[in-house]
Amino acid sequence: MHKDGIGKQPAIKQIRGKLAGLPAISYALGMLVLFIVIFAVGSATFLTRYNMLTIGNSAAILLAVAMGQVFAILTGGIDLSVGGIMSLVSVVLMKTLEPLGFWAYPLSLAVGIAAGFLNGLINSRFRIPSFITTLGSNGIFMSIAYMISIKPLSAPSSSFGVLDIVNGTTLGIRNIMLLGVIIFVLFFVIQRYTITGRNIMLLGSNEKMSWLSGVDIFKVRTIAFTLSGFGAALAGVMLASNLYSGYPTLGTVYILNSIASVVIGGTAMTGGAGGVLNTLVGVMVMSVINNGMNIIGIDVYAQQSFLGVLVIIAVAISFDRSKLSVIK
Amino acid sequence: MEKKKIIEFKGIRKVFPGVVALKGFDLVMYEKEILGLVGENGAGKSTLMKIMTGNYQPDGGQFLLRGEPVVFGGSMEAIEHGIGMVFQEGSILPNLTVTENLFLCHEKEFSKGWFISESAMVAEARKALEENGLDINPTTLCGDLSPAQRQMVEITRLLWLSRLYRHENPVLILDEPTTVLLEKEIKTLFEILNRIKEHATVVLISHRLEEIIENSDRIVVLKDGDYVTEMPREEADIFKIEQLMVGRDMVEGYYRRNEQVDPIDTVVLEVRDLAIESILEPISFTLHKCEILALVGLIGSGKEELVKCLGGSMQATHGSIYRNGKRISIKQPKHAIAHAIGYIPIDRRIEGLATDLDIADNINMLVYKKLKSRGFINKRKEQDNATHWMGVVKVKATSHRMKCGNLSGGNQQKVVLGKWLSADAEILIVDHPTRGIDVGAKDEIYHHIRQLAKQGKSMIIMCDTLEEDIGLCNRMLILKDGKKVNEVSCPPEAKPAPTDIIESIV
Amino acid sequence: MKTKNSRSLENLSTLRSKVSASAVGKLYHSIPISGQIISLGIVALIFSLGTNGQFLHVSNIMTVLGLSAIPMILCLAVHQVIILGAMDLSLEGIVAITAVSAGLLLKNSVTGNDVGLWIIPIVMLIGGLAGLVNGLLNTKLRMPSFISTLGMSWTLFGVAIMISKGSSIPLRDLRFQKVIISEFLGIPTVFILAILLGLVLYIMQNKTKLGKHMYAIGGNEILAKQAGVKVDRIKISIFGLTGMIYGLAGLLLVARLNSSAARYGNNLLFPAMTAVAVGGVSLSGGVGGALNAVIGTIIVVALNNGLVLMQINPYMQSAVNGIVLISAVALTIDRNKIGIIK
Repeated sequence: MHKDGIGKQPAIKQIRGKLAGLPAISYALGMLVLFIVIFAVGSATFLTRYNMLTIGNSAAILLAVAMGQVFAILTGGIDLSVGGIMSLVSVVLMKTLEPLGFWAYPLSLAVGIAAGFLNGLINSRFRIPSFITTLGSNGIFMSIAYMISIKPLSAPSSSFGVLDIVNGTTLGIRNIMLLGVIIFVLFFVIQRYTITGRNIMLLGSNEKMSWLSGVDIFKVRTIAFTLSGFGAALAGVMLASNLYSGYPTLGTVYILNSIASVVIGGTAMTGGAGGVLNTLVGVMVMSVINNGMNIIGIDVYAQQSFLGVLVIIAVAISFDRSKLSVIK
Repeated sequence: MEKKKIIEFKGIRKVFPGVVALKGFDLVMYEKEILGLVGENGAGKSTLMKIMTGNYQPDGGQFLLRGEPVVFGGSMEAIEHGIGMVFQEGSILPNLTVTENLFLCHEKEFSKGWFISESAMVAEARKALEENGLDINPTTLCGDLSPAQRQMVEITRLLWLSRLYRHENPVLILDEPTTVLLEKEIKTLFEILNRIKEHATVVLISHRLEEIIENSDRIVVLKDGDYVTEMPREEADIFKIEQLMVGRDMVEGYYRRNEQVDPIDTVVLEVRDLAIESILEPISFTLHKCEILALVGLIGSGKEELVKCLGGSMQATHGSIYRNGKRISIKQPKHAIAHAIGYIPIDRRIEGLATDLDIADNINMLVYKKLKSRGFINKRKEQDNATHWMGVVKVKATSHRMKCGNLSGGNQQKVVLGKWLSADAEILIVDHPTRGIDVGAKDEIYHHIRQLAKQGKSMIIMCDTLEEDIGLCNRMLILKDGKKVNEVSCPPEAKPAPTDIIESIV
Repeated sequence: MKTKNSRSLENLSTLRSKVSASAVGKLYHSIPISGQIISLGIVALIFSLGTNGQFLHVSNIMTVLGLSAIPMILCLAVHQVIILGAMDLSLEGIVAITAVSAGLLLKNSVTGNDVGLWIIPIVMLIGGLAGLVNGLLNTKLRMPSFISTLGMSWTLFGVAIMISKGSSIPLRDLRFQKVIISEFLGIPTVFILAILLGLVLYIMQNKTKLGKHMYAIGGNEILAKQAGVKVDRIKISIFGLTGMIYGLAGLLLVARLNSSAARYGNNLLFPAMTAVAVGGVSLSGGVGGALNAVIGTIIVVALNNGLVLMQINPYMQSAVNGIVLISAVALTIDRNKIGIIK
C-alpha cells in the first residue's frame, strides 16, 4: 500500500526523519535531563536530598497508577476512571482499617481490581469504547465512594502501625519508594515476561492479526483493564496511607497525570508500542516538573496548562500516522 | 458505421518497484460501445483503470481522451472530464439519502446563497433516476437500499455529472458489477447498460466470462501487463478467452516439480458436506498426509470462504470437519490453531504479522507457553527459538530484533511461515504463497513447500496463477459458483495442461 | 462470527422487522426521534408516580426546561463534532476560559473593563479560536481528536485559572443576569435561546452544504474525500463553530451566577456526553442531529431532576448518569462500522 493521498506533514516529517532512528524513550529521557537541568539551575533547593526524597515519594504513587494506565493504553484504549478507583479504594481502606487492621489493605486492593475488571468486562462484552466506559464508570466509582462516606475519612490512630507498611522505613529507605520499585518490577515482568503481557502488545499492535493467531481478545482486554484497576488501587492505597485519610475526590488529578505520564514517556495511544519502561521515564518527567515548578513558584494551574501542552506535543511527535488512513 | 474513438492508449506503460504493471501497449475504446475487459489478477486491468481515473500517472506512452492527451490529478478531475468508475464495494455513503449521494459536492446547483432547496434536489433526483429506468425513491437512505440499487445510484450519479460537465460521451467503468447482485438484478443492470450505451461508453471488468460475452460489444484480453488480443462479441468463445488469459509456457523443473512427493494414505483432514449459506454448497473432500491440495476457481467460487472456515475466521453453516478421524469444531481461529491448522493469509502485512514488532515476537507469538521457565518467558529461549526458525525458513535479516515492517515481502512471508512451523502446525492453509514476492524469493518458497510436504505436513494452497497451482499440487479441487465440480490429479510426471483445467473452471 | 449471542440478535432483528412492517411500526419510523420521545415518556411516568404527580407540575416542568438550557447548548455544540466521527473533550476548558474572560471583560469589581454587549461576539471569538486550534490539531497535525482536545482542555483550564488567579470574579453588569432569569410567556428565556440555537443548527444541518458534507464525513471519511468533500475545511469549521457555542455557554453561566470562575467549566462534559448518547447521536458518526441533542438533554436533565425530587441521595447521581451513559452508547453504537472497539 502506498502513501498516495494520505496526509503529509513536511516540516514535522523532516524533523522526525532526522530523529527517526531513536526510540521514543530517548525523547522522554532527553526531556527528563532537560527539566532537571532547568530546575537545578533555577533553584538551589532542587537538588537537595530532601527534595529528591519528596520527588521519589510522589513519583512512587504516580508510578503505580501510571503502570496500570499504560496497560489500558497499550491495548489501544484509555482508562479515565483511575481517579475514581483511587478515591474509592482510599475510602474503603480508611473505613476498614479499624475493623480489619492489616487486612484492610488486601480488601481495598481487591475492590480496585474488581473495578478494573468491571471496566474491562463492559468494554469487551458490550463493545463500548473504553473512553466512554471509563468516563461513565468513574462517576459510578465516585458515587460509591460518596455512599461509603460523604465526609473525608481519617485513619484511626490505632491503625497508624499498619499504615507504616507505606509510611515507615526499612533499612533506612522509605517504604513507599521500595513499594514503587517493587510495583515497577512487577508490572515490567508482567509486560515482558508473561504471555498476557505479550498478548496485550500483540493486541494493540494488530488486533485482527492477533485474533487470527488465536489470541482471546475478550480475555486480554479484560485483563488489561483489570491491571489498570490494580495499579490505581495500589496508588490509592499508598496515597491514602500517606495522607492518613481517604475521600471521594482523592484521585481525580491522577487521571490527567497518569495519561500524561504514559504519553510523555512515548507509549503510542494506538497501542502496541512503548510500555512500562517508557512510562517509568514519563513518570519521572512528570514528578520532576511537578516538584520543580512548585519550588520555582509557578502555581499549580500553570502546571496544568504546561502539562496539557506537553501532552499535545508528545502525541503530535510520537503518534504513528502511517498506521491509520483516517484520523478521527 | 465507423465508431469514433473516445479513449486511446498508445504504448501505455506503468512500472512499480519490482514489477512492470503495464508493459507498453496500445488500446482503443470507442464511443457508444460496451467494452468487456478480461484478464487474471495482475493482468493490468485495474492499473489501466486507475490511469483512466487519474489515480495513477503513466510512466510511458500516451493516454488520449477525445483525441487530446490528458493528465488527471485525481478521480474528481476525471469525473469532470466525463470518466467515472463504479467500484465493487461502492462509494455510496449509507447514512445519506439517494438525493444527497447523487449530488454530493454539487449542491450549489440547487442553492440560493447558503440554502439548498431540498425540493429542487429531490425533483432532479427523481428525473435522473427515471431516465435510467430506475424505480427508487429519492428520499430513501442509501443504507436501506439493496447493493443493486446502490450501484444504480452510483451509475446515475456519474451519468448526471457527465451531463453537468457537458460531456458528449461519458465513459463509465464498472468493476465486477455483478458479484453482489441477484440474477434478476443482473438482468436489469444489463438492460440499463444497453440503454446507456446509446450515448456513453461502458467498460465492463468482470471475471464472469459468460456475462462479458453476452453483454459486451467487444472484448479485450490482457495478460501479464500486456494486450493480448480483442474480438467482437460474435467471435468470442469462452474457452478461447480463458486460454488467452492464462496460457503460459510450463517450464520444465519450474515449481520444483522434481521435489514433489507422493502423499501417504493417512487422512489428516476430512470435510463432510461443509456449506456456507448462499456462498458455498455442501462440499466434501479429504486431505492426506504429505499432500499438497490446490483449490482452484474464479472469484465467487467459494474457495476463499472455504479456507476461511478451516482457518476459523469464518463459520460454516452446515457440515462437519474431521481431524485425524475425530470430529472437531472450528468456530474461531484459536480452535483451528489448537488442531494444528495454520493459516498463512494473502495479505501478510495486515493479517499475518505485527509489523511494529520484531521478528522474534512474530515467530514466537504462538508458542510462548513452550518458552517459559519457572513460570516466566525466558529471553534465551525466545532468542533461540526465533533464530532457529529464522534459519529453517532462511529469513535474511541482520538480527531477530529487526522490525518486521522493514523486511521485504519474501522475508515477511518466511517469518509468517516460521511462526506456524514453530507452532508445529501440521496442516497449513496457504493463501497465495507468492503474492507480491519477487522471482528469486518465489523459488525459495516453492522449495519450502516441497520440504514441508516431505516432512509430513499437509497443505491446502490457492495460488496466483493456474500454472502455479498445477505445478505445486498433488491434487486439485476445482470449484465453481460455490460447488465442487471436478477433482484432478497432478502427479509430477503427468501434470495436466491449463487448458484442460479451464474447461471446468468456466 | 456466529455465536450464541448473534443468534439471539438474529431473532431480535427478525422480530424487529416484523414490528417495523406493521402500522404502528411505520408510524414509529416516520417520526425521527420517536424512540427518545418514548423514553422521555417513560421517565415522566416513573417520576410522576414516584413524586405523586409533583414531577409533572407546570412549575417543575418549567424548572426542568430552565435547567436544561445550558446543558442543551453544550450538547448542541459537541454533538456536531461527534457527527463528524470525532470527539471533543475540550468542552470544560473552553467554557472555563470564556467564562473567565467574560468575568474580566464585563463590568466587574476587579478590572476597569466594561465591554457590555460586545462580550457576545468576544466570547464567541475566543471559543471559536480555541475550537479552530482543535480542528487544526486534528486535520493538519493529524492528531486523534480525543487526546488533542483533552490536552487542550487541560491547557485552557490552567490558563483560565491563571488569568483569574484562581478566584471568582463578581460581576457588576447586571443586565445579563436579568435576561437569564427572565421568562417569556412563562417559559425560561434561556430555554428559548437554546431551542433557537437548536433550530439554527437544524437548518444548517439539513439545508446547507456544510451540513450535508458534515454528515458525509461522518458516514465515511475516505469516500467523502473521494467524492470531493473538503474534509479538512469542514472539520476545522465544525470544531470552530463548536468552540463558539461553548463560548456562548460560558457567558450564560457567568450571567446566571453573576460572577465568573474557571471552575464553572467543571463537570459539564459528562452530562453533555450523556445527553448526546441518550439523544441517539451515534458515536460512530454520521447519524443524529439537533433534534437528538435537544431531546437527549431534556431526558437527562429530567432524569436528574426526578432523582432530586424523589430525594435519592445526590451522590448517587454520578452513578446513575454513568450507567445511563454506558447503556445509551451500548444501544446506539453501530457495531458494523466499528470493526475494532478500543
